Amino acid sequence: MPQDHFLAMFLYALLTAGFFALLWRSGRRERWRYFFFVLLTMLVGAIAAGWVMYPFPAHP
Amino acid sequence: MSRSEAPARPAGGNLFVALLLAWLFPGLGHAYLGKRGAALLYAVIVTAAFLLGLGYHGKLYVHEPDHPLTVLATFACYGAGLLNIASRLLIENTGGNILSPTFEYGCAFILTAGMMNLLLMLDAYDIFTGTKG
Repeated sequence: MPQDHFLAMFLYALLTAGFFALLWRSGRRERWRYFFFVLLTMLVGAIAAGWVMYPFPAHP
Repeated sequence: MSRSEAPARPAGGNLFVALLLAWLFPGLGHAYLGKRGAALLYAVIVTAAFLLGLGYHGKLYVHEPDHPLTVLATFACYGAGLLNIASRLLIENTGGNILSPTFEYGCAFILTAGMMNLLLMLDAYDIFTGTKG
């Protein structure tokens, strides 16, 4: 398995976004909109959280 | 949605069978209730998440008395039904590999797959009772 962290994060976001779009929305258009919303929110949110934590030392 | 607008309950079927099938394998409960397209997608998504978890060296939790929260993780693992049981029978090292850089990702994938399958059981219940179409 590739050990790339971003790939793992992307796959996780992809699967959960697909799952919840299917579960919580009805109609093709609504589902795609929600899928992309969740996918982008998870990816951008994770990267933003990483930037926010960047100044803090990993091993204080 | 008011109760009068609730979708009609699917004809035939048994609630217990629907819930049991939903737990046994992702999407099977939906297939039983006639939602075959959604069932196939759910099966692909949840199975992929579970197998990725194993591939990323995630852990199939068991209850450890010294760590009470492992009860919740064990519950989530067993939520994945036959995927979890078959994996425990077929894989030698069910504890994953904590030294792997992707161990935490693996655990997250496995636990999420189990929780997704539990949500599918609730969804099958809603479909059966007519709460959801």
